[in-house]
Amino acid sequence: MESATHAEGPQYSVRRTFEEALDATKDDVLRLGAMVEHALERAGRALVDRDVELADQVRWDDAQVNELQRSINTGITALIATQGPVARDVRELLALYHAATELERMGDYAVNIAKLAQQLAAEPEIPILRQIPQMEQLCREQLRAAMRALVDVSEEEARAVCARDDEIDHLYNSVYEDTMSLMSVAPDKVRQATHLLFAAHHLERLGDRVTNIGEDVVYLATGRIEDLNP
Amino acid sequence: MRTKEEIAPSGETLVHEAPRIRLMTDQAVDEAEQFAPGASEQSVAMPIEDGKVVFELQSLSCYYGSFRAVKEISLRVPHNQITAVIGPSGCGKSTLLRSFNRMNDLIDGARITGQILYHGVDLYADGVDPVEVRRRIGMVFQKPNPFPKSIYDNVAFGPRVAGFRGRMGELVEESLRRAALWDEVKDKLKSPGTELSGGQQQRLCIARAIAVEPDVILMDEPCSSLDPIATLKIEELMHELKQNYTIVIVTHNMQQAARASDLTAFLTMGPDRAGYLVEMAPTQKLFTSPDNRLTEDYITGRFG
Repeated sequence: MESATHAEGPQYSVRRTFEEALDATKDDVLRLGAMVEHALERAGRALVDRDVELADQVRWDDAQVNELQRSINTGITALIATQGPVARDVRELLALYHAATELERMGDYAVNIAKLAQQLAAEPEIPILRQIPQMEQLCREQLRAAMRALVDVSEEEARAVCARDDEIDHLYNSVYEDTMSLMSVAPDKVRQATHLLFAAHHLERLGDRVTNIGEDVVYLATGRIEDLNP
Repeated sequence: MRTKEEIAPSGETLVHEAPRIRLMTDQAVDEAEQFAPGASEQSVAMPIEDGKVVFELQSLSCYYGSFRAVKEISLRVPHNQITAVIGPSGCGKSTLLRSFNRMNDLIDGARITGQILYHGVDLYADGVDPVEVRRRIGMVFQKPNPFPKSIYDNVAFGPRVAGFRGRMGELVEESLRRAALWDEVKDKLKSPGTELSGGQQQRLCIARAIAVEPDVILMDEPCSSLDPIATLKIEELMHELKQNYTIVIVTHNMQQAARASDLTAFLTMGPDRAGYLVEMAPTQKLFTSPDNRLTEDYITGRFG
């Protein structure tokens, strides 16, 4: 069929300005992802190390996350309004817009965990359930994988990210069981146990947001909207 | 809005119903019934569910002498919808459009192979009257081309030629209303049509086309010489007209196809410079996630 000969060969685009803007937007979303990952790593460390100052930094730095997210979404709105993107271009811009919004929310979860770290540090020390650092690490791996899938527009990688969210959910259920047991045997530790449960809950929510980005990548790659984390 | 029967008063047969042509071409009808869609490998014929098909192209090729301008196109144009044809310059869009009402007959050396069925009737069969074809299937051109006559006479011209004996004033008014021009010209119907603005002239041409109560309106780049506001007015008008007419529009303006049409057909040309159909799909689908890479590259401005 003739179409095959047409599709091959170097691509010539009459929309270089638009493509440059699209690439710049993609870079910004990656940067936002890296910022959120860094925030999450520090929040997790602050929780384990009872490091109040580190937690403070996470809280302060969230303003930068919010600012970058707003700038990304404003830029995308302008591109849609002025460039009339269609087909894959418009899907990509919408996926990036949504990813930026999800990343901003993930940043908020990191801040919530940082706040819990500060509250826990003000209470008598209890051992941090080992599942929580595991969840935190898994969330960061998932976030990195989702960002890779977004850049490579890899449907396969995106589906793998969504499938792996079950591991985070299992860890969360396990934290739930352990904190419930702790509360029933040690009523004096109910406050700390509740903080831990909330930290795990934020991580579980964060994991879900990562799968939303995975769904965006599948939409970008295929044009189909699927629920990959039912 | 009045019906066709009201515009063509009692006893007046402005609209010849399909069976009259059908009688001339029983053979074509038989052939049409045998048609099995999807026969050609390049055929991307639209499945039309629960709707009437106005045109059905079966492996249509159009030639100018030995040059093949359009190659083996199979598609269906649905009733009372707006079908847009897009594609790069020289891909045969206008040739394809002109084949829908046998306008190419007027060009020396022009011929077709394959078939165009119009309501199941072979448009190119012996015994089909091209004049009658063009009355039923009207055309609006790239540049507005009103006759050097009054606004009124521009609209009344076609019906007079067709022997219309009803109330002409009402027909003119109704046609101008349908073309969304009445309010702007009702006080100067005797002024020359050529004195109107470009956008008004184009709507006058649309009024002229619908005055003979066609079934289909073909539009060849109808907005390319109009400013953006006049363009939007024509697009709004198309949206209203599709309640009564089937519209096929050729446009270079992809955003116009995206805004104004229900279905879009994308044509491009092969190495032999013959235009062929790459993809035809509901407009929303084609502009959000086209199936074919060539379509994607074209509408996003990337050319391989």
